[in-house]
Amino acid sequence: MTTAQFPTLADSGLSAEAAALATGTAEHPIHSDHTPTGQLAFGAFFQGVNSSTIWRLPSSGDQVAWESFESLVRTAERGKFAAFFLGEGLRLREHRKVPFELDVAGRPDAQTLLAALAAATDRIGLVATQNTTYNDPVDLARRLQTLDLLSGGRAGWNIVTTDNAWTGENFRRGGYLDHADRYLHAEAFVEVAEQYWRGESISHDGAHYSVRTQGDLPASAQGRPVLFQAGASPAGQDFAARTADVIFSPHGGLEAAVDFRRSITERVVAAGRDPGSVKILPGAEIILAPTEAEAEEKVRWVRDLQVGPEQAIALLEQYWGRDLSGFDPEGPLPDVAPEVSESGVTRGAGFQFAKAEELTRTWREEAAQKGQSILEFAREKSGARRGTFTGSYDTVAERLADFARLGAIDGLNITPWLIPSGLDDIVDHLVPRLQERGVYPAEYAGATLRENLGLDPL
Amino acid sequence: MSTTTSSPSSVAHGHGAPAPDATTAATSDPGRALPVLAVDLVADPELLEGLADLARGLEAAGVGALTISDGGLHPIHVASHLAPLTRDVALLPRTDAVYVEPFHLATQLMSLDHISHGRAGWLLTAETDPAVAAAVGRTTLGLEATAREAADVLEASRLIWDSWAPDAVVRDTGRGVYVDASRLQYADFTGETFSVRGPAITPRSPQGLVPVLVADTDRAAAGERAAVELADGRALDLDVSTGSGAVLETVDAARADEDGPPVHLVRLVGLDLEADPLGTVTELATALREQGLVAPAPTTGQSLREQLGLPLPPYSNDPARRSDRARLTSKDPA
Ligand SMILES: Cc1cc2nc3c(=O)[nH]c(=O)nc-3n(C[C@@H](O)[C@H](O)[C@H](O)COP(=O)(O)O)c2cc1C
Repeated sequence: MTTAQFPTLADSGLSAEAAALATGTAEHPIHSDHTPTGQLAFGAFFQGVNSSTIWRLPSSGDQVAWESFESLVRTAERGKFAAFFLGEGLRLREHRKVPFELDVAGRPDAQTLLAALAAATDRIGLVATQNTTYNDPVDLARRLQTLDLLSGGRAGWNIVTTDNAWTGENFRRGGYLDHADRYLHAEAFVEVAEQYWRGESISHDGAHYSVRTQGDLPASAQGRPVLFQAGASPAGQDFAARTADVIFSPHGGLEAAVDFRRSITERVVAAGRDPGSVKILPGAEIILAPTEAEAEEKVRWVRDLQVGPEQAIALLEQYWGRDLSGFDPEGPLPDVAPEVSESGVTRGAGFQFAKAEELTRTWREEAAQKGQSILEFAREKSGARRGTFTGSYDTVAERLADFARLGAIDGLNITPWLIPSGLDDIVDHLVPRLQERGVYPAEYAGATLRENLGLDPL
Repeated sequence: MSTTTSSPSSVAHGHGAPAPDATTAATSDPGRALPVLAVDLVADPELLEGLADLARGLEAAGVGALTISDGGLHPIHVASHLAPLTRDVALLPRTDAVYVEPFHLATQLMSLDHISHGRAGWLLTAETDPAVAAAVGRTTLGLEATAREAADVLEASRLIWDSWAPDAVVRDTGRGVYVDASRLQYADFTGETFSVRGPAITPRSPQGLVPVLVADTDRAAAGERAAVELADGRALDLDVSTGSGAVLETVDAARADEDGPPVHLVRLVGLDLEADPLGTVTELATALREQGLVAPAPTTGQSLREQLGLPLPPYSNDPARRSDRARLTSKDPA
């Protein structure tokens, strides 16, 4: 084939916005080593504890009832979702030293629940977020392989490394791990798990413990559970590039997704792996309506329900580190200095460590410039924390097809803003439009999660 | 507020509980519920293929509970997998209390209780196999330390299970409050080798405290404190691998024995699952029931606690462990 025969970007059906982000050829629009499959896979992400699930509506279901999970997973399977995901948090979130009262809280153990869901489903993958810092590798590996065997090769493990002495208070070793070592530890942990899955004899001596055992379970239909990684730091990306099958990224915006794909492709190639062997699924929220105008109105309605006046004040309190209950949510941002030097008083997986003084000053300026009240500001900020796809069914379908053709992502991990009906309109109205555009599977490709994510056999 | 106080360590023997509706054998204590008939399934990967049918078949044969023993697959996951495949039968993983993370174990068991709508139980074992310790990088504990650890983990589990009031999820739209922190408490357990802060990451499960039983086979390792003082009851193990000849006599004798702890579960172990497990079990179940030696088959919606004649434990709030203590003290400058 000569160069002249290569199709050009102009023929690729990309939008102007997407084409402008492309730096390569039609085959490799983002990176010369990465070929888009043009296909999307969906995951349903049941976070459990979070600020985006609306609990105030009469249709908001029970967050722990079996019926909620069963109903949601059945809808996802009807929509040919590749995976059903559960988040994990190993200590109840706290706000100013008291369990946080305003958000949905409390969830079942991820793997115990997935083992039951394996009996209620046939094709959908079952992915448990599980921490490498507060588990024993052989115990966790054995549980995951049990899930993989019970489900006929549909198990996945979302590897997270959240570490701090505060979470450690619930575990035997306490807060034993330096933050800097979290991925060193995770890598050794995953190596032990893989040895176990391969049925090998294990003799591991690490910085924090030794393990002597023998893998004793048969391999599942997909060989071993699919490995997901969530964690966006450079160390996390390197770990994922060496180890993971799928990256659960926070980058849902088109430009950020393109940059992330480039960064991951470079790292995967450097690790000596085929860049197609690591899929990227950003977390996303999808708000849909028949028309653009209705969708706009619905987004406002959803945001109002997600962030009430109490949540808005609490959001600021996380960064100010002090009681702001005296401030009017309809008024401007507090004109007082934060009491902490670092933000992130509400503990949980998503907490950050931005310098509070600087951040709160920037925020005050930003809100003043936009003329926003505390409430308006908080609603915008908490919406911006998620990859958000909002609009009419057709607009969102077209936008997602664009992402797929460009190869920025391999799918989305969708957090429904309502349980259990939050996937209904996605499955009924968006999925068929994606199928018409040829970017979403009409049927499950196979029986295992590996197959349904388009991953090569091990 | 629904904060009643009770002793968390009170051992319930079914006093005051409604007596099961069955003819009571002459030898049994009238205040004591009839034991529940259980069958042990060994969670071997080879069994996976027919597992669902087997569990449903045993349930149809009138078995009250399945205990899931370790055969490679993790017993808690297998129990959980069987929950949506069955309706009435209780599910008790027989699983180790010693070489585990107590916080994870407690969460898994209360999750099983949610998923099974109150059919969960824990058949506590205390592992003595050095290979299990080596797999988690711990040194093997001696007999005394093993028993102490099992009791500590059981106590910690109960505190974790008891950390949310039944009505802690208030969904108060007026105040914008989803969960009321004053109805949560820390576990704040400190044992010999570990401590757990809490509260649970899972809301209170249907049975509140998951019933904990200890099988005769495991009693020596689990120790007297876990097996007799703390556990909710005892499982009488009947090995039927060499035939089921003396089953009725053994159950009768154990129930008549005033010195031993009362029997709450009559557990058939060593069943040949390849051969004709359903026929054997149906026959034994019928004979045991006719003699009034075991409780009737469970009805839909009946919890394991109800089957065992154990009262629902009241939520006990310890003011010293209340999770909103920090807020109370910060508002009180004294
Ligand atoms: C999209 C996404 C989802 C995550 N979900 C969880 C979760 O459910 N539980 C958790 O403990 N950590 C979660 N994390 C956080 C971590 O995976 C990560 O271990 C932590 O941030 C430390 O790694 P890092 O420094 O590389 O980010 C998530 C991260 C991302 C990006």
